[in-house]
Amino acid sequence: MVHLQNVYKTYKNGVNALNDVTIDIKDGEFVYVIGETGSGKSTFIKVLDGEEIPTRGTVEVNGVNVGKLRFSKVPLYRRTLGVVFQDYRLLKKKTVFENIAFALEVINKPRKEIRQRVREVLEIIDLTDKAKSFPDELSGGQQQRVTIGRAIANNPKLLIADEPTGNLDPERSNEILELLEKINASGTTVIMVTHDINLVNKYKKRTIKLETGHVVSDSKEGGYVANV
Amino acid sequence: MFRLIGRHFKEAFQGIFRHFAMALSSANAVTITLVLVSLLTLIVGNVSQITKNLEESIQIYVKIDKEIDEAQIPALQRKVEAIDGVGSVEYSNKDQELDRFIAGKGEGGKIFEIYREDNPLSPAFLVEIKSGYTLSGVSENLSKIQGIKEVEYGGATADDFLRVLTTIRTSGYVIILALTLLAIFLINNTINITIHNRNEEIAIMRQVGASNSYIRQPFVIEGVFIGLMGAVVPALLTIFGYKYVYESLNGQLISGMLTLLPTNPFAYYVAAFLAVIGMVVGLIGSLMSVNKQLRWRR
Repeated sequence: MVHLQNVYKTYKNGVNALNDVTIDIKDGEFVYVIGETGSGKSTFIKVLDGEEIPTRGTVEVNGVNVGKLRFSKVPLYRRTLGVVFQDYRLLKKKTVFENIAFALEVINKPRKEIRQRVREVLEIIDLTDKAKSFPDELSGGQQQRVTIGRAIANNPKLLIADEPTGNLDPERSNEILELLEKINASGTTVIMVTHDINLVNKYKKRTIKLETGHVVSDSKEGGYVANV
Repeated sequence: MFRLIGRHFKEAFQGIFRHFAMALSSANAVTITLVLVSLLTLIVGNVSQITKNLEESIQIYVKIDKEIDEAQIPALQRKVEAIDGVGSVEYSNKDQELDRFIAGKGEGGKIFEIYREDNPLSPAFLVEIKSGYTLSGVSENLSKIQGIKEVEYGGATADDFLRVLTTIRTSGYVIILALTLLAIFLINNTINITIHNRNEEIAIMRQVGASNSYIRQPFVIEGVFIGLMGAVVPALLTIFGYKYVYESLNGQLISGMLTLLPTNPFAYYVAAFLAVIGMVVGLIGSLMSVNKQLRWRR
């Protein structure tokens, strides 16, 4: 599903964000990517979603060579991914229903299909009763669930979550993780970037640790303590 | 295809209603400039009409040499007609000239009847010029023809007056153009702010895989609609304001020679012109802003 081969990323200001990173993630896996601030986690996501081009090496996602993608093809490529952010990034002027429907409208799905799919998604994220609410009327955990709902609306094969629990209390974080597990169980590959030690130790999964742009450990059994 | 257009319109109207204050301030900026554009267009339109009327009503009086006999007249007339800018040419023989002269003197003209026997006047051509030509230019060319004794027209005064009107008309066009550019700048500025406020929205659209053209369409439709909104008040002002002015002046300015264009269809045309300008301004302004925002490279 995801294959990074000797990937380097050096920014114009000289910062080496990724150094010789080689990672293989198979279909249906659930992988944590952990590391301190500045370890290259964000750049890792950016080379995956096509926001940044690697300086060297290849990034292949679902058979697409992301680094070689033409600018105009990036939107098409992104339709095959779901991305979840720490700060939710919901459209404040749209309701929960509209926010989720938006991801499908953008790719021009028929209205009937959209309505049906949004209802399904609302059930998955357990927010059917909040369909008509605006993001500001929701709690942080609920907003994050809407973001996840938007990300999975188009049935992506890969879901990338960037610190999805960063702004949430432990209880809400658990809910989000359980939701991500549910999505993973339905066949979607999940990559979650986090520095929440408790979560990583509680829900053990394959854990890749980045440090100053290098992969310093890749543990199949997971857990944070084991990797330090 | 239709589904897509429908969605773009839906997005655009949602954009307007959910950022109504912003849309309204953009529209206001357009309104103010369009009111000025309207005023100028009304003035320029009428000045053009007055200029045209004057040019059409002023004739050049071309006196023919007495040496030329009746048989040579048709050939001479062809030469006059061949001059650039000459419209209609009417021949008036010696007797007709005397009639005109006597009629021009009114009651006291009768004493000139004695000249019937031995008419001292020369025959003449009454020349009307085509619009776009100056009286002095055409007159000068006419005076060069052999067999023409003298060329008369309103002279410097008429020319000057027409020149002033032409200057008003030309500067009117220039100011209208400048105001239109100003309106584009104003709407561009406010839409820039709107789009800047919606930067996040654009980033999200991009994130979920919206193509640039998909992101652009609603903003452009919104811009066109805001431009149209901005044109409503100026258009109504134009129709009712002009109607009021036209009626209170009885359709004339100072004298009957300076007639104003009737409200129907002139004011309606100007109103439609304002609506079109509003939309074009909105289109260009929003395209400029959104393109700037979408200039994104990896």
